[in-house]
Amino acid sequence: MVRMGELATSSTEGDVLVSIGLGSCIGLALIDVRRPIVGLAHVMLPTTTTEEGPEAKFADRGVPNLIARVKKLGAIRLEAVMVGGAQMFSFGGDGPSASIGPRNEAAVREELTKAGIPIKAAATGGRRGRTIRVHVEGTRVTVREVAGTEQELYGRTS
Amino acid sequence: MTPKYSDMQLDALRELANIGSGNAGTALSQLLGQPVDISVPAASALPLADAVEAVADPEAEATGVVLPIFGDFDATVVLLFLPDDEATLCRLLGMEPHTEDSFSMLGEIGNILGCSYVNALAAMTGLEMEPRPPETVADMAGAIVASVLATRGITGDLALVLDSELFLENEKCSLSFLMLPSHEGIGELLARLGLE
Repeated sequence: MVRMGELATSSTEGDVLVSIGLGSCIGLALIDVRRPIVGLAHVMLPTTTTEEGPEAKFADRGVPNLIARVKKLGAIRLEAVMVGGAQMFSFGGDGPSASIGPRNEAAVREELTKAGIPIKAAATGGRRGRTIRVHVEGTRVTVREVAGTEQELYGRTS
Repeated sequence: MTPKYSDMQLDALRELANIGSGNAGTALSQLLGQPVDISVPAASALPLADAVEAVADPEAEATGVVLPIFGDFDATVVLLFLPDDEATLCRLLGMEPHTEDSFSMLGEIGNILGCSYVNALAAMTGLEMEPRPPETVADMAGAIVASVLATRGITGDLALVLDSELFLENEKCSLSFLMLPSHEGIGELLARLGLE
């Protein structure tokens, strides 16, 4: 379970990394293209405003942190899958807080571009919350909306 | 820096929540013509991820009414209904659940309850509190609460959660009433109470 602001990695067959109820938050999955090594970060806000808090809370630090952690497990060439970044409420008026979901998505994409990691699939935007599951086995990534069924976003055909 | 809260401050906030939710309970009781009970509210300062889980099972389907409060006291009121409770409430008010009309009705209930709660706080503290129109969303409980915390700029590491349950005495029906203040809002409130 990867909760808000947290990240996790695994290369253990049978492990599933999960972030439940992503609204404006982003679930970013990184997958090694050759070996079953995966990571998942649950990003809450685009840019760092405080040194406190868990290591994936802010996109500008969380994405590099996740990259470093999967590389430590032996990952070499990475691909990304993004889920979340919805805009669940329209209040917050015209302020930047109204569009926190899209801003999270833009910030994560920017960090991935900097690191040269291609985004292979995404279920982002809209108004609905989502749950992401990253399976080490078959390096599969699935997404589910409330009262919906599990959809496969990414999977290596063996 | 995220402020830390002392036990005495949390006690005072719990007492305020008690009075606020008492008022909200009375309003709900008048609205439905039914007796309403209130749990003793919880006031806790929790790491953000824990705050989401403390409120509800994050993946559970829920309907949330979200009411932003602006003014001297920045906060968000969230009413959470689980599907069975929402269905009971809709039945009592003669409405089909999960329709546009029922969402608008739940929004109005949120508005009335939220305003009664906030008015009680405003009267006690002399703070200016201005509720904005509510929004009703049906989604995963975790997505609703997490998005409120992110959207309302709760950027510190701790979220303050004032949590009360309202029960209909004659029905198996309850709803969660959450007050999620910003740290600035709480600072202002504690200052008024002489508990900085």
